[in-house]
Amino acid sequence: MKSITLYILLISFLFNPVGAWSASQYEELEERIRLLEKEQIPSQSSSTATGISRSFNPAISLNGLFLGTYNDEGNYDSTKGVRTGIKVQEVEMRLAANIDHWLRGDITLAIEGTSTIEVEEAFVEGLVFSNLSFKVGKFLSPFGKHNQLHSHAFPFIDLPVVNEEIFGEEGLNEIGFGVSYLLPTEWFSEFTFQLLKGSNTTQFNGPAGSDFAYLMRQNNLWELNDETTMELGSSYVHGKNSQPPTSVIKNKTNLVGGDLTFKWQPAGREAYKTLIWQTEFMGSFRKQTQEGWYTLLQNQFAKQWWVQGRYSGYTIPHGPNRIDKNQWSALLAWVPSEFSSIRLQYNHLNQAAADENQVLLQLNFSMGSHPAHKY
Amino acid sequence: MRKYVSIYAIWTLLFVGTASVEAEMNVVTTTSDLASIAKEIGGSLIKVKALVKGYQDPHYIQPKPSYMVKMNRADLLIYQGLELEIGWLSVLIDGARNPNIRLGQRGHLDASKNISKLEVAGGKVDRSMGDIHPYGNPHYHLNPENGLIIAKSIYDKLSELDAGNSHLYKSNLSRFQEKLKEKISAWKNRMNAYRGTQIVSYHKLWSYFARYFNLVVVDTVEAKPGIPPSTKHLSKLTALMNRHKVKVILQANFYESTFANLVAEKTGSIVVRLPAFVGGTSDAKDYFSLFDTIIEELHKVLQTKP
Repeated sequence: MKSITLYILLISFLFNPVGAWSASQYEELEERIRLLEKEQIPSQSSSTATGISRSFNPAISLNGLFLGTYNDEGNYDSTKGVRTGIKVQEVEMRLAANIDHWLRGDITLAIEGTSTIEVEEAFVEGLVFSNLSFKVGKFLSPFGKHNQLHSHAFPFIDLPVVNEEIFGEEGLNEIGFGVSYLLPTEWFSEFTFQLLKGSNTTQFNGPAGSDFAYLMRQNNLWELNDETTMELGSSYVHGKNSQPPTSVIKNKTNLVGGDLTFKWQPAGREAYKTLIWQTEFMGSFRKQTQEGWYTLLQNQFAKQWWVQGRYSGYTIPHGPNRIDKNQWSALLAWVPSEFSSIRLQYNHLNQAAADENQVLLQLNFSMGSHPAHKY
Repeated sequence: MRKYVSIYAIWTLLFVGTASVEAEMNVVTTTSDLASIAKEIGGSLIKVKALVKGYQDPHYIQPKPSYMVKMNRADLLIYQGLELEIGWLSVLIDGARNPNIRLGQRGHLDASKNISKLEVAGGKVDRSMGDIHPYGNPHYHLNPENGLIIAKSIYDKLSELDAGNSHLYKSNLSRFQEKLKEKISAWKNRMNAYRGTQIVSYHKLWSYFARYFNLVVVDTVEAKPGIPPSTKHLSKLTALMNRHKVKVILQANFYESTFANLVAEKTGSIVVRLPAFVGGTSDAKDYFSLFDTIIEELHKVLQTKP
């Protein structure tokens, strides 16, 4: 209809004797044509790029991690996590969309290696009321900072040794539900409570089906200035483990964690420079105590370059299974765009068995929907 | 167990303050230009906060949780749209836990909705083309006439949310638009002498500006948006600039000028680093002085051009 009007205007414009029009009438006509053109453009543009019907599809993104490793120890030991060789570390597919007017869904399928597919995350989220959100499904539990990351978003190629020893390679990834409350403070402050199945084999996995784990997390973020933020969080999980209880020792597990993160990005140079310093402590208290921490520094020194260092220590301080491990890591990353990176990492693992020197080279790529990463 | 719970309760209570109750409408905008225009329309009836500072590159903002706090208390969220904020805004909207500002709600305004877009991708687009915005170039605020349209969209929204004060918003709108129209004709006069001047820009940030003031952008220093140029592209660009005698490279001041300087050296051109948003320099205090600054800088460079 609008295009007809436009035509009529144009035709009348063309076929009228020039002298019959004053300059102001021309201007008025031009203005009207311009306005009509303007009104038309949105209806055209919204269908050209991806198509309206397709916007009902979930946002799909795919991620691949290809890994080459060298280890100076245990080349013939197939139980070793890192030994000399090449492998597909993981292929991940994420689908996310608003389900309807009140729910949002997020599903991540992971193929570790090239064969078995696993539901890494599948959850829905929504608002109960202002400030209080809920989450139901299977998800990476918010215990500390690192545990919430998918492997493609890890700051280093591998886990800090403390996370790997306490939760296993998959991290604390549980089925459950919970709520998260944004506190009415001047700074960002959040409290999370979750009821989890408690199936993590190293920490929980109690004998009864009703042996749930209860997670609480409280975290805060302050803007120290325009360029710097400080995040301080604490996490706690209580659950039951699979150790046969005795009259003295119950099969209870208490997990405690604390994390502190500083991020600095110089104003107006966000694309070129970033400095992140993150430290996390965690401890598992049950019949045996497991403790450890890591601290890492990430420095983006040019648009496409990062250099990073990390230390992680882990210990079982008492009892017959005493362990003491120290892991030193250095990493250099080339990040040509948000969608690909090549990272080279060196690890020195200091432990009771022979020390290990590991070199890892990873290609990390993403396709599809634009990833919006957490802070 | 109980001990841990009570420690937790105390820890949490330590952080609970009380939110102050305010009469004004809380407006949060992504960019400072939108905040500047919203301030003009809302006057003392609204409180405006911009998330991105004018000297920051809005493509590369990190979704800081502190932004969620600002958005949590907002009655209205205004954003630039056309995927400028795609890397971070959705995370913030979800994290803000504020039902009023979600997509499809009354407190959610895409300022690009009535803008006629430039560089809308026709045909096939993909990531091999760099950081492209398929729905159109999002830097539309640099055409001052789009300021009139943005102001109208904001006025419509404010009157919808706060119908009682509609007449006040209306008079603010008229005042703003009149002043802007006056300014526009002054800017046009200033730039009139430079119609058809060929320039090069670093990023496709100046498309709307150049088109409005009849400057011809012959090429960009970036071969593909968001990706540093290759030496091959730079030598092609140098040849092109020498052939066309292009003497000016326009660049927003949040981009590093290493590449532009390299080209400038070989072509005898000048790199002009300009604020692209309100607050980009201390002179660019609002939407008017942003253009004042840009046009004054350009005028200074272009008038001395051989």
